[in-house]
Amino acid sequence: MNKLKTVIQYECFTSFKYIWIFYGIQYACVALITAIVGISMGSFEHVGTNCLEVNSLIYVGILGVLGFHEDFKTLIQNGFTRRYIFLATLSLFAFISGIMALVDTAVGNLLHALSGNYFSVYASIYGYGNVFANWVWLFFLYLSVCSLFYLGVLVINRMGKTISLFLGVILAGIALLLAALFRFVLSGEVLSRLGKLALSAMGFMRDGSINLFFPVLTFLLATALFSLGSYAVIRRTELRG
Amino acid sequence: MNAIQIKNVTKRYGGVTALDNVSFSFSHGKIYGFLGRNGAGKSTLINLIANRIFADQGEILIDGLPARENMDVHEKIFCMSEMDLYDTSLKIRDHFKWINRFYDSFDLEKAFRIAEQFHLDTGKKFKALSKGYQSIFKLTVALALKVPYVIFDEPVLGLDANHRELFYDLLLSDYESGERTIIIATHLIEEVANLIEEVVLIDQGKVLLQESVDDLLEQGYCVSGLASEVDSYCQGKNVIGCDELGGLKLAYILGEKTLPPQDSRLQLTAMNLQKLFVKLTEKGGN
Repeated sequence: MNKLKTVIQYECFTSFKYIWIFYGIQYACVALITAIVGISMGSFEHVGTNCLEVNSLIYVGILGVLGFHEDFKTLIQNGFTRRYIFLATLSLFAFISGIMALVDTAVGNLLHALSGNYFSVYASIYGYGNVFANWVWLFFLYLSVCSLFYLGVLVINRMGKTISLFLGVILAGIALLLAALFRFVLSGEVLSRLGKLALSAMGFMRDGSINLFFPVLTFLLATALFSLGSYAVIRRTELRG
Repeated sequence: MNAIQIKNVTKRYGGVTALDNVSFSFSHGKIYGFLGRNGAGKSTLINLIANRIFADQGEILIDGLPARENMDVHEKIFCMSEMDLYDTSLKIRDHFKWINRFYDSFDLEKAFRIAEQFHLDTGKKFKALSKGYQSIFKLTVALALKVPYVIFDEPVLGLDANHRELFYDLLLSDYESGERTIIIATHLIEEVANLIEEVVLIDQGKVLLQESVDDLLEQGYCVSGLASEVDSYCQGKNVIGCDELGGLKLAYILGEKTLPPQDSRLQLTAMNLQKLFVKLTEKGGN
């Protein structure tokens, strides 16, 4: 277990500084754009931004991909098994998601307090008020995105580029088929039920109340599903030269 | 059993059989030369031993423990790879520090000492190093690890002559200070000929031979002279190759040396390891 602790620490410590580089670049860009727009318009009254978490979502998606490409070969070289690598990567995702969710929750609430015009993704959906729920929601959202991209890159690596491209085409076909299914095949009643189910999964209950536990559970289930899939793939993954 | 046992291992890549039902052992406490031409299956076998890839059939045991997905062998084996598998954005000293935490048997002071001997700048990032210094970093790690089995896959790639000499010196002094198994996979056969005790020769996915270097050099010899006399001498012998020039012939023979007839003008000379390797593998390769 000591070795597992060490490999988790390696994953977290070597990725930690990049979070702050990302935030540094993000806020520098926001400040620069705000300054340019404000100066050119002659007023800062209507200049602003919203939903900065979207950038974090992109970052954690990239992290999910790099979690495989960079760390798998390094850890395999250092004699670790795929089970250890998987657990360490998952821990890294949890670590990064936790920190980024914390920063985004704090910044989102602070910006809203300073300027009532700013709305974070969470607040746009559920409103401001429960900071802890905001952090937990973002944490599991980021975690599920990391896990999804990790699974994706593992599948691509396992299948090779050509088969993955075919798989992509098939998935796009399935998406079109589903769209057609929703549009032309399924009855209004079925669609309404599916819609209500999706809304419930995101916490919007039929009685009009909001259950903040349900979206967290939804993201948790998605994370568990993607992670199980990732483990099933990584335990058969070979190093490519 | 203290050994790396390779048991009936087969590995295929699509329609290509990289290793074909290979079985042999690397015993504990020897320096092995693991030789073979490009594409012979050396790297495939090394990657299998290091749990980087999986065998289609068969198994590999390290001191009786399965090599596949087993953390119990973590402190038993280390494979210095020809491929660049390290985090390229980490500084060398940080790599050393992390490896020191990954392995109980890593000697951090020794790693820094060896790095200094090679003039390896530990403040540089891996990606900022030249190919030669990347190899030096990798072999420094392998030399500073006190695991029972160390595999060097093309260890002197990109190293100049001075650094190669230094590496061989360090390797020998390390071997003398504590018995362990060292496996060197290389194309520079003559450079390691004085180092290695036993040779495993692999060709087209099969083990051609496994013998001690002394026995092999004793068995291998060349006979030269007039073609007709050489042909006559070679009858019934294991001729592994021939070179001809005009009416003269040079035959490479593996087996017990017999003296030529008194009146013949044939000359018997010793064969070096590289020539032996070339002649044994050129049949299938060319």
